Amino acid sequence: MAPSTTIPLSPAELSYLHTSLSQQPPIRPDGRAPTQFRPLVAETDILPSANGSARICFADGTEAVVGVKAEVEPSPTTTTSHGVAGEEGADRGVRNQSDESGARDAMAAEGTGQGRNAWLDLAIEVPGMRDDDALPVFLAAMLTEALLAERGLKDRLYINARFHWRLYVDILLLSLPLSYPLPLLSLTTHLALLSTRLPALVSEKDEDPLFNDDWEAATHLYPRSTSTSTNNQNKTTKAPQKPPVTLLVMSVGASTILFDPTREELAVADAVLAVSVVAGEAGAMKVVALRTIDPPSRLTSAGVPNALNSTSTATSTSTSAAGSQSLSAADVLALREKDQGQSVWRPPRGGVSRQLVARMIKCVVEKGGVGEEVMEGLGGVEV
Amino acid sequence: MPLDTSTYALAHLRLDGRRWNELRHLHAQISTQASSDGSSYLEQGNTKILCTVSGPQEQRRNAPGGRQQQAGAGSDTEAQIVVEMNLAAFSSTDRKKRARSDKRVQEMQFTIAEAFRGTLFTNLYPHSTITITLHVLSQDGSLLTACLNAATLALVDAGIPMSDYVSAVTVASAPSSDQSLDEVDPLLDLNGLEEQELPFMTVGTTAAGTGEGVEGEAKIMVLVMETKVQMGRLEAMLSVGVDGCRRVRGLLDDVVRTQGRRVMENKIS
Repeated sequence: MAPSTTIPLSPAELSYLHTSLSQQPPIRPDGRAPTQFRPLVAETDILPSANGSARICFADGTEAVVGVKAEVEPSPTTTTSHGVAGEEGADRGVRNQSDESGARDAMAAEGTGQGRNAWLDLAIEVPGMRDDDALPVFLAAMLTEALLAERGLKDRLYINARFHWRLYVDILLLSLPLSYPLPLLSLTTHLALLSTRLPALVSEKDEDPLFNDDWEAATHLYPRSTSTSTNNQNKTTKAPQKPPVTLLVMSVGASTILFDPTREELAVADAVLAVSVVAGEAGAMKVVALRTIDPPSRLTSAGVPNALNSTSTATSTSTSAAGSQSLSAADVLALREKDQGQSVWRPPRGGVSRQLVARMIKCVVEKGGVGEEVMEGLGGVEV
Repeated sequence: MPLDTSTYALAHLRLDGRRWNELRHLHAQISTQASSDGSSYLEQGNTKILCTVSGPQEQRRNAPGGRQQQAGAGSDTEAQIVVEMNLAAFSSTDRKKRARSDKRVQEMQFTIAEAFRGTLFTNLYPHSTITITLHVLSQDGSLLTACLNAATLALVDAGIPMSDYVSAVTVASAPSSDQSLDEVDPLLDLNGLEEQELPFMTVGTTAAGTGEGVEGEAKIMVLVMETKVQMGRLEAMLSVGVDGCRRVRGLLDDVVRTQGRRVMENKIS
């Protein structure tokens, strides 16, 4: 899905950018290193009426606010391995519990199936675009995919067999989408989820959920430490540590890999990848989702090579159509192909080699790589 | 509180500890977004509004679906003012995704556009559009008020010439109906709970006049009342409201001057 940005750069400027980014080491317009990010401003807990919230401003002026709200919803009664369709009753409750724990242990071996994908509802609002435009829909799909890739979040939303939390993540892009807003929205969602708290449960087992009125007793959605806490719902699956982060990685030419691309750099990209990573155990990063993005460079128009430039080759004022200057369509095509983008800019064609994709992913997940740096940077934000 | 008059009669303190003529904590920042022509962020109590202004810019192609209201007729003589209000789904206590064609929102958008049509010098920019986008991050009463104040600041930041600020405030009729009309104090600047219980109105004024303008005669640009109130109380409410607007205008002016000072210091140093 092509990001819809109209790029006001001429073929000469595009060619210039492409050449400077293809150098070794690449020369970026603002002089950054290939893995250097622009400074950003981040703050959390800005909304008093939301369970969690965050706001991030990027250096180019784009800004996003994310608010997370949670509501209790009744779960549809199902005849799953819990034994029988859900029925109230204290005596049944005891039997139900043993059934449940038995079933739970059986499921625990493969990772519990308590959470459901439908319990997470993510909505993106972009000013000037309707809700069913391509960009919001595509961005929402990518962010949801990354969040649901791990079971931890869904399972955390389970209350008991009859009720669960429904998590609404509402993302608001406050400025017009100048550059592809995916990393901005992903980082803001990450911080908002980290700051989200759910009220503490005081009811037991399958009765109607009752919560502690004291907000100070509320527990974080992503708990801080993995130390054995007595209110762990499940012994085998750990609660998720941190939500995933989606980064935009682009490549130019055969060897240049760049992070945090600006709008101009994206305009000459040969390949753009969205890599979603999550911090696993012991700080190792794990890829949870990977998507290719159609680079906006494909929407640019090619420059005109000198051989085809009618203003430079026209010498006679003859209006005869059968002059030596007029070429057939096939000749024009042949000339352009032979040129191969050497003398003038040509939008990139074709895909990206698997080795390059592997290198791009490795840059993100390796120890001391970009993924860790970003997580460290975000960890510095007070949540 | 509003219906429980006993506590109010004893200490004359509202639920949040304010007296009848005290405004909520108003905090505003101007020029918060570098990528837009003008922007501002305003908090009145728990009502938080973020406003961005773009324009005057070339007339956009005909409004893509759903944007029927457009204040400012005759685009060949003056600029058009388009207001877009976006209530975030997380803005109220219950999460509620709003449809675009919400009548209440459309009404407020129209009111805001009309209010600024009276103060902005739109005749200087024919064939162009000024777009005011209001993002409501959190609402706790006095929504229209906060939107007008935030939009004023953003328009000042955008550098669009205007005759004066539009400052607004809400004012409610007193809590009980059995008190005699003379002793009654209208309440200034309502929060969410009070708005639901009491009849109230929104007043927006400029202070256009001679000299500094603050002492001049105030002109009412916005007056919205959707609830019923006894006629005898109206005048008191209005005068309290106009005075409250003057105080709000002073606060908004402070914000603008602080920003101006900051800009000057950056330029000089």
